[in-house]
Amino acid sequence: MSGELPSYDGCGEDAAPYVLGALTETEHEAFLAHLRECASCREEVATLQAVANALPAAVPQLAAPAALRDRVLSTVRTEAALRTADAARGTEPRRALLRGRPGRLPWRLVAGSAAASAAAVLAAVLLLGGGSTGSTRLYSAKVSAPAASATLRVSGGRGTLQIAHMPRSAPGKVYEVWVKRAGAPQPTDALFTVSADGAATVAVPGDMKGVTAVMVTAEPEGGSRVPTSAPVIVASLA
Amino acid sequence: MFNPLRAAHGERSAAHLRVLADEELMQLVYRGNADAFEVIYDRHCEAAFSLALRMCRQRSLAEDVVQEAFLSLWRSGARYDRNRGSVRTWTLGIVHNRAIDALRRKAVRDRGIVEDEGIEERVPARERTEVEFARRDEAREIREALQQLPAEQSRVIELAYFAGMTHHEIADALDTPVGTVKGRMRLGLQKMRGALTDAPGAAT
Repeated sequence: MSGELPSYDGCGEDAAPYVLGALTETEHEAFLAHLRECASCREEVATLQAVANALPAAVPQLAAPAALRDRVLSTVRTEAALRTADAARGTEPRRALLRGRPGRLPWRLVAGSAAASAAAVLAAVLLLGGGSTGSTRLYSAKVSAPAASATLRVSGGRGTLQIAHMPRSAPGKVYEVWVKRAGAPQPTDALFTVSADGAATVAVPGDMKGVTAVMVTAEPEGGSRVPTSAPVIVASLA
Repeated sequence: MFNPLRAAHGERSAAHLRVLADEELMQLVYRGNADAFEVIYDRHCEAAFSLALRMCRQRSLAEDVVQEAFLSLWRSGARYDRNRGSVRTWTLGIVHNRAIDALRRKAVRDRGIVEDEGIEERVPARERTEVEFARRDEAREIREALQQLPAEQSRVIELAYFAGMTHHEIADALDTPVGTVKGRMRLGLQKMRGALTDAPGAAT
């Protein structure tokens, strides 16, 4: 159209494939750069984009699966609870956990089901060996399974989860360790199952510096990139 | 001043949240309010899932796409800019992009033909509110606008938008020059624009 960038040959042609998502990645980038220079292409994009935006409505509307809703919301509630715990730690370290409204405690949010929350315990932090000499800290984790317990041991910048009386993961599932710093929990390659009596000792990959929480979820074999279920263990580092 | 504890601990009940507009809810989502996110999810999950399923034509892949899209919305709520359109449009844009990525990444081979048959467990979405009746009218107008196009124009639009094909792939599949494919896309969209602008309650 205006031909302000003669070296770019999609001017006047690429607005339609752009709004439909039909450009290749390279073409897409080139067109975005071109848009900054070309008012007439910008105008055409604005016009055609409105039509493309309406196209999803042409699809027959179907109910979304309930299991999908459960997965998405359990992940979101987990992350919200961890954010709340982080925010609380900033000024009032324990009040967020201890004084929340009944049913609104972070772990309640995490646990989701009554069965899971029944066994939830508040986190307690044991400091071993004093602040100056001892560099080993034990954090008792919140655990969803009745009778199970888990402790995060942090020593010399390394974390180890010590787990007892944990139910075996369901067939086809393994437990996966997640590490939270700022932002969303990050997956690790620490995938594990428990012994016949429900015990496991699991090294948390990487340095514990900056880690605010360590979580465990049940995931399909091979692990997941985002949690697909609510955590069964959450160790918050106060 | 915003207090994250109050927000996260549900000072506003779910019922209060449900009367808020999407744009107001996104402000709360940005601050980490999971209840607000839940309302957004419930309002738009059907449209998101329907679009993803139409594009992916595989239930599991469509579910993955919707999950990724909503989690991305949750984690990057700050990027929503109300000046650039509604929350619904923004959400469906994310779903569309994710579905295209998934289709191209996995190179689903049977995606070239858009058809409605063969997908199990189709449960029609419920219709509940005036908003949804209005959407149904809008949907009908859009389907009609698409159907009224010459077949060669509606086909390239469907292959691009719903099947996630690039214009090169479409040109190959139809044995048609790339320039012709782009031209048909443009003409088709322009005609739809005309039809929708003429229709009452036209999409903007």
